[in-house]
Amino acid sequence: MAAASQDQNRPQNTRAVMAFLKNHPPFSNMEEDHLAHFAEHSTLRFYANDEVVLSTDDGVAKQFYVVKQGRIRGERLNSRDDRTETTFEIGLGDCFPLAALVGERSTRTLHRSVGDTFCLSIEHDAFVSLFTQSDTFRDFCLRGVSSLLDQVNQRIQSGAMASIGSNFTLDSPLERFALRNPIVCTPDLPVRKAVARMHENSVGSIVITDDNRHPVGIFTLRDLRTLIAEEKAPLSASIRQVMTPNPCSLLAKENAFAAAMLMAEHHFAHICVVDDENRLIGVVSERDLFALQRVDLVNLARTIGTATHLRTLVSLRADVSRLVDSMLAHGADSGQIVKIITTLNDVTVRRVLELNIAKNDPGIPFTWLAFGSEGRQEQTLLTDQDNGILFTTPEGMTEDQVREKLLPFARIVNDELAECGFTLCKGNIMASNPKLCLSGAEWDDWFVRFIDASTPQNLVYSSIFLDMRAVFGPGESLHELFQTALKRIGNNPLFQKMLAGNAFTRKPPLTMFRSFRYVNDGKKHALDLKRQGLAPFVEAVRVFALANGVGAANTLERMDELARKGVFDPKDANAWKEAYSLIQAIRMRAHNEMLENKEPLTNYIDPDDLNPLDRRILRESFRQAQRLQQKLELAYQL
Amino acid sequence: MIDFLKQWLERKKRGGIDIGNLPNPKTIGKQPLVTSRLIVLDLETTGLNPAKDQMIAIGAVAINNNAMPLDDQFDLILRRPELDIRKTVLIHGIGPEALTAGHETEDALLHLLDWMNGDPILAYHSAFDQKFLEKTLRAELGYGENHIWLDVAELMPAFFPTANKQRKGLDNWADTFGLQASARHHAAADAMVTAELTLIALNKAAQQGIHTLAQLSDKLRYQRRLRNMQRF
Repeated sequence: MAAASQDQNRPQNTRAVMAFLKNHPPFSNMEEDHLAHFAEHSTLRFYANDEVVLSTDDGVAKQFYVVKQGRIRGERLNSRDDRTETTFEIGLGDCFPLAALVGERSTRTLHRSVGDTFCLSIEHDAFVSLFTQSDTFRDFCLRGVSSLLDQVNQRIQSGAMASIGSNFTLDSPLERFALRNPIVCTPDLPVRKAVARMHENSVGSIVITDDNRHPVGIFTLRDLRTLIAEEKAPLSASIRQVMTPNPCSLLAKENAFAAAMLMAEHHFAHICVVDDENRLIGVVSERDLFALQRVDLVNLARTIGTATHLRTLVSLRADVSRLVDSMLAHGADSGQIVKIITTLNDVTVRRVLELNIAKNDPGIPFTWLAFGSEGRQEQTLLTDQDNGILFTTPEGMTEDQVREKLLPFARIVNDELAECGFTLCKGNIMASNPKLCLSGAEWDDWFVRFIDASTPQNLVYSSIFLDMRAVFGPGESLHELFQTALKRIGNNPLFQKMLAGNAFTRKPPLTMFRSFRYVNDGKKHALDLKRQGLAPFVEAVRVFALANGVGAANTLERMDELARKGVFDPKDANAWKEAYSLIQAIRMRAHNEMLENKEPLTNYIDPDDLNPLDRRILRESFRQAQRLQQKLELAYQL
Repeated sequence: MIDFLKQWLERKKRGGIDIGNLPNPKTIGKQPLVTSRLIVLDLETTGLNPAKDQMIAIGAVAINNNAMPLDDQFDLILRRPELDIRKTVLIHGIGPEALTAGHETEDALLHLLDWMNGDPILAYHSAFDQKFLEKTLRAELGYGENHIWLDVAELMPAFFPTANKQRKGLDNWADTFGLQASARHHAAADAMVTAELTLIALNKAAQQGIHTLAQLSDKLRYQRRLRNMQRF
């Protein structure tokens, strides 16, 4: 009744605008007050056919528009052939320009009216106040942007969220998060006084510095708890004796993401921020980074890393997918998200290994290897196990004797990982396979045979075993092994050409006429984003990386390295990285939707389910894969 | 526009509007159309005879910079026959303190004159609205100043001569351009449709090189003469 009478008090035309808005998302789900705010602050404009509504030269986008009648066409100049192409056409109730507004930049698309067109617009002030007050409106704007994810510059996008939405963005430099003038003390200060200083300033940590302001240690409330509980030292002892020496530090210009990853990996809660000369500038805590998040990465990593039972690890997997969800919602890019997933997966794998060693130590030093997507740090929520063991044979034992001890252990680990959601590998690429539980010498032999013989099976293996990394245990032996293998590949043009030929068979799913080529196995309109979309990039980049001595396994890192070495033109490398990340992002979004709908995860999508813009972007990404393959074709005269 | 509203609110805060202190009506000159504020107005009346019938409601929006800002509108119901509130009005859209029912007609008309700011008034079949409004203003306030009036019913055929040859109503023009009034025979809703047509016509005018109020007025006068000649 109250709402109705309030509505009666609004002018007819304001009510009419509200009624129009209510027929279209996101307005249909917005609160009455917010709708009224929009309507009262809106302005109606008319555009005749073919008029420029919004131009790329207009400067930073200030107005938010809704089409009230007619249509708007997006046009972009294709710099390659100097032709204008239509990127989208929107109509009644559609909004623009989302990416430019949220990104606080000018639009990159010329907006032109099609037919007699009326648009309602609100000014920047009203937009910002709606963006901050209405969750529905904010979600809509950000989702609109994330569907443009890799077409727009993600850095700008997340910077915008810091200025208009929340303070959360993983791309911001640390100096924006770090506490300035952190609480410091000298190494000889008694613990009691140091704690008093923390108390006075209500902070959770104190940094111990030397005369040059270089951080030499850190002491946190957690350390204090341990100190008292375990009676390690009296409170009169100097802080030097109880501090954590050589604290982790990062340069101020590095981004929050680097800090988050470091914290997640090492379970630190605080990181020192220093300048180029290692002088302390500030301290950043996990609370600073994750203030606004429901599930926080560092805490989750720590919980996984200290879990004492398998069933805890299993139950924490749900939190991982929730975290990915909230990361996507906060506009993290797909590259960051796969890294986060990989980090959390690594922590899980390590913890499963640690728990089993504690229970039943095989007594042999070994390195746990990850292959394939796990090796490339490109895991998504749908992931299966590809692992192996590299061991050092203790004196007086034969390799088979070592295997007798390690294989039952590996079997249990593989099974427990399966319980945690890492599906058992159908091809038995697992550490419990005797052929993949080898000593350094045996692995080296294996690589020699693998590189010298060009059997079809070896080609299948190339996509698995040439992308590897150590997840647990010493990494030096693997590094040595891999460097030798790289040298062998570098000196073996035949093997390179064979790899290139194999990569070339992975055609991007486009027909000659630039429409989608679908998978043939009964699924009528399905694209396999992993095998048809990502694989062409992964495979082609691997050939170039191995041939040019690039040691990284991650596809994006390999492309960076190849650009640095001058193998790829930097512009090409960027385009390919963007295209690759975009396909990855669409795949991840699909995974999250499947999880939400409680469907089994697959890599298949029907492009008809995508919005027209995503479809175009996907097509363009596949075209980039074709260009990369052309480079391969040229380099290896395929 | 914002400045104007601020001033207006300032004046309002200081107390009622003084009849001697109302903005002077503008005259037709070389003022650019783009920067001129135009009032688009529609009246509801009890009948068609200005000598006998009464004004029931006034709906008006403003056009500024070729756009219609919804925070600059006037939606006034003078008398609601079904409520039988004589001499009492409900005012919409001129600030929350004015929203309380029970304003005197006199007061409301002063607000209207103040809000109109002496700017040119457009209406569909403006002669009708002009007669009713001027009669009411004279009767209630003794106000006799003349505003500039332009007829949207003349404006449309002047710029779209081939459309709507036979049918001449507001609804016909609205249909031609796919416009829809949010409520039938509601002053404010009709004013909005009239303003939408005006925006379309002004867009066309700019394309034809008509940039000032004087040019627009000349064009309408020329069209009128042309029509009268055709009649003979």
